[in-house]
Amino acid sequence: MNAIINSPLFGILLSLAAFEIGTVISKKWRHTLLNPLLIANVLIVGFLLTTGISLESYNVGGNYIAVMLSPATVVLAIPLYRQISSLKKYWKPILAGILTGSLTSIACVLFFGKLLNLGDTLTRSLLPKSITIPMGSVVSEQIGGIPSVTIIAITITGITGAVAAPAICKLCRIKHSVAQGVAIGTASHALGTSRAMEIGEVQGAMSSLSIGLAGLFTAIVAPIILSAL
Amino acid sequence: MRIFRQLTIIFAICVAGEILHRIVGIPLPGNIIGMVLLLILLCTKLVKPQQIAEVSNFFLSHLAFFFLPPSIAIMAVGDDILGRWPLLLFLCISFTLVTIAFTGWATQFLIRRQERRESRGSEP
Repeated sequence: MNAIINSPLFGILLSLAAFEIGTVISKKWRHTLLNPLLIANVLIVGFLLTTGISLESYNVGGNYIAVMLSPATVVLAIPLYRQISSLKKYWKPILAGILTGSLTSIACVLFFGKLLNLGDTLTRSLLPKSITIPMGSVVSEQIGGIPSVTIIAITITGITGAVAAPAICKLCRIKHSVAQGVAIGTASHALGTSRAMEIGEVQGAMSSLSIGLAGLFTAIVAPIILSAL
Repeated sequence: MRIFRQLTIIFAICVAGEILHRIVGIPLPGNIIGMVLLLILLCTKLVKPQQIAEVSNFFLSHLAFFFLPPSIAIMAVGDDILGRWPLLLFLCISFTLVTIAFTGWATQFLIRRQERRESRGSEP
């Protein structure tokens, strides 16, 4: 049995099965809180803890899947390229808005991390929490955070954006459709963008444009701010 | 279709990104450099979106699956961090709301300013 558990096939099968269950559940109830990634994560962690199978055994197969994070990030250039033409009229406000958002997110984490004494590792893990997972997990690793904590924080952030974005925009009187899209994409990456697309075409386009740019800004700015502190 | 050509293009960009990061020493993660490289190739029309359509659509529509294995490492994180999850959950949610508000305000303010200037500029 050990030979099976320590073969790459085990981790790959477990991941596929858990993600399929997560996808089915999330499609059946169609609720934003039922995120397939979170469901699959809970299922696998629960399974490993119950059976006593180690994380190392799971990762023999899991690492094969994680290698694909690199091409998965590279192709994010395609939605960015498709939306670049929609930048034309308001490119200055949009770029400045995304930069403001990225800095706001970083500043919140740094300030409250210090205030609540979260500790260096945890603060660094939360720093890239507003950007898309393939970028956030590598930025986290680069600045000395724990990628798995970052991934969970990013998912919670995305769900928050998807659930609360329309209400926040209304409450804060953010009425311009371009500003709404930029706000949602910058703060809550692809998960928020799925909601932005439901609000309107302009919001969806602006939100998906903001994902890649916010990720790029954060990847550049976060290490600089950390080294300056 | 040409799946192998599409995969070759995308993985070559991945490797180029890693080379620029590890050997040339650009202080950005290799995969993010790769994304910028592909964006440049698309803007300069050296690569057309349809040349990598199937492979990129596959990755873009199943993105979340590839994060599952790295996310499982959460079980190896110490109790000092896991024990504070209610605080972390609260922080993640409130930071997100603040970020949406600030980003939206800044963008909307700058758009309105630009619109005011343009309408003033167009008057005789």
